Amino acid sequence: MHFAFPPRKTSNPPPYAARSTRYPLSQYLRRSQIRKFAIIGLGIIAFVYFIASFSSESEERIPPGTPPAVIVTVFDPSADAVHTEQIKRNRISYAKKHGYETFFALSTTYDLGKHTNAWSKIPAMRHALTSFPHSTFFWYLDAHSLIMNTSLSLHARITSPSVLEPLMIRDVPVVPPDSVIKSFSHLRADDANLIIAQDAEGLRQDSFILRSGDWAKFFLDSWMDPLYRSYNFQKADAHALEHLVQWHGTVLAKLVLVPQRTFNSFTRDSSGKNEEGLYKEGDFVANFMGCDKGERNCEDEMKPFLDKADDVPA
Amino acid sequence: MSLSRSPSPTRGGGWSSPGLTAPYDESSGRSSPAVRTFPNNGNVTWASAQARSAEVQGYASFSTRKQGFFSKHFRKLSRGLPITSYAEKEKLERRWKRINAKNGSWRLIAIAGRIVWRLRLRLAGLLIFLLGIFIFYVTPLHMVVRRSFGGGNKFVIILAANLGGGVMEWKGPREWAIERDSVKNKMHYARKWGYELDIVDMSTKKRYAHEWRESWEKVDTIRSAMRKYPDAEWFWWLDLNTFIMEPSYSLQSHLFKDLQKNTYRDINYYNPLNISHPFTSEWLDSESRSAIGDGKSESINFILSQDCGGFNLGSFFVRRSVWTDRLLDIWWDPVGYEQKHMEWEHKEQDALEHMYTNFPWVRPHIAFTSQRKVNSFPPGACGGETKETENAKIHYQEKDRDFLVNMAGCEWGRDCWGEMYNFRQLSHRLNRGMWEQFRDRIAESFTGTKNS
Repeated sequence: MHFAFPPRKTSNPPPYAARSTRYPLSQYLRRSQIRKFAIIGLGIIAFVYFIASFSSESEERIPPGTPPAVIVTVFDPSADAVHTEQIKRNRISYAKKHGYETFFALSTTYDLGKHTNAWSKIPAMRHALTSFPHSTFFWYLDAHSLIMNTSLSLHARITSPSVLEPLMIRDVPVVPPDSVIKSFSHLRADDANLIIAQDAEGLRQDSFILRSGDWAKFFLDSWMDPLYRSYNFQKADAHALEHLVQWHGTVLAKLVLVPQRTFNSFTRDSSGKNEEGLYKEGDFVANFMGCDKGERNCEDEMKPFLDKADDVPA
Repeated sequence: MSLSRSPSPTRGGGWSSPGLTAPYDESSGRSSPAVRTFPNNGNVTWASAQARSAEVQGYASFSTRKQGFFSKHFRKLSRGLPITSYAEKEKLERRWKRINAKNGSWRLIAIAGRIVWRLRLRLAGLLIFLLGIFIFYVTPLHMVVRRSFGGGNKFVIILAANLGGGVMEWKGPREWAIERDSVKNKMHYARKWGYELDIVDMSTKKRYAHEWRESWEKVDTIRSAMRKYPDAEWFWWLDLNTFIMEPSYSLQSHLFKDLQKNTYRDINYYNPLNISHPFTSEWLDSESRSAIGDGKSESINFILSQDCGGFNLGSFFVRRSVWTDRLLDIWWDPVGYEQKHMEWEHKEQDALEHMYTNFPWVRPHIAFTSQRKVNSFPPGACGGETKETENAKIHYQEKDRDFLVNMAGCEWGRDCWGEMYNFRQLSHRLNRGMWEQFRDRIAESFTGTKNS
């Protein structure tokens, strides 16, 4: 086949060379190729972003095997070693049963200046927070208390919001009987960072549950204020706590009051005003408050309870 | 399809030759033929060929004009204008050239005029742009923009006014003048950058009947400011005896854009109180034991400076945060007050030092900035003369154009009003415009004196 005419030139030639393309990139690549590269590029960016977010998340992620709660007890080094061992075993068996950890400290470990060893519970809690940075709840339980009913976990008994909500005591004087500062009436269980009970005379600082976090550090440091320690409160740390709670709203806003027998039943009503808080069969904790004072003997008092606590199948 | 026959004319006035399409496609540079609509069902008419060539040329020739009523009349109108088409424009230019050749003096003007005419669209754009900038700065528009888009509404300046006063301390004309000048200065600054200014009447803050909490009102004031301006993030406390020397510095550019560079966390960098830092007790967490907290600028909630003797709260920043809530709550405590109120001469300042020294939870969120960044002292404010090296860190330096002067302690044996007046004049002189500088220089040359 031949052409009769050579291809016609245009009779109206363009005055300048027409721009070859609209997009410079398409000189080298077809549109479909550009699209392909764009998809691949986006995919890489998304992947990197995903990896980055995943790795930054993993810093805050709770490592597996972290105990959800830690039981903290401070022991007096001058107490009988066998007795101390028994109490430790009481905590450990409960912790083992529910996957918790225990943190034991000696009251002489921490430098308290010239002040009474009762203050040592505060640095001990701070120490426990440092030792178990990922655990949620820290339960301080005094050395003169025994866990009697090991069947239920802390979560099932106290800390889960659905359990705590009906337990909370709202709108009562924080420090009985007649403080003008009352516990918050609109508090929700999620706000609870400090769970504590009160007896007829005041807040019971020998058993309390603290939720870890910045607030816990703030609370413990404020409680440990050197000016509180030097003020010579009659009951040292107990009165300092009551002072802190009544004067500082950011503390009160996270405080939840629960009935005393929830986790701090008394075995003996030494003041005669505290019948409601007396230990009954099946209570969670028995507190032998004051058993180291005067004529009383902690070992003798605890002996029948220890046997009972051990009876419960672990 | 065979191309071996000659193209034949068609009724529409074109050729029915499909070979005609080839050169156009080449010149358009497309790699694939685009879909085109031909009015004559594949045939090339005169009109379609013209349209196509117009497409190639990049401008429309007359044939693409719409034939509607308005366009017809506009065309008539435009025909009356000096330049209707490129051909005529060229003709006109030739005529101009002829004129220019005759009359040399008009030549430059003509050239300039031609350049201006050629660039008319761009010049109009430039003019509108400049006018826009002018309007932006003359009207309060720039304040609105700085306020809402520049982040100005994230800052609140809290100015403590009406100190003293009352029955016990009569305010003389000097005190009123200080107050007026100081407030005016901050008002101007806040308006310029779109910040909020909260002037607090300190005399009404004495609501405690027993007055034992007197002059501890800073905390209450900051708290009420936080409630009053719920959108603000940073609150800048300023004492009355301060003067912003350089209103052209915004807080953002001066300090907050680069907190990492402008502040330091480790107090050992400058430690007049000799506070042992960091904490070493092994029961504390790693953040509390770190010298710089977590080291991130996001964790800074409190920025203050240290003068010759320790913390200075004449000019400091607090950020709205949970941490700040707790700090403000714990700052004043009756037990501490009862024990220390005789000893703590500087009240809140000493209490803050106490908290910083004793509370591990406080330290990781406090950052320091150098004194002269936000709180320069006038010479002699440290009490007792200090070494030259100290002066360089604390005292106002004119050549560095320090941001703010705090005439701290001027009420004790120094002349507050005199200092305020001098610094106000200095600030005016340093920040006067070009015209004022020129005028002043003329005036100086006449009088032969240099006013300062």
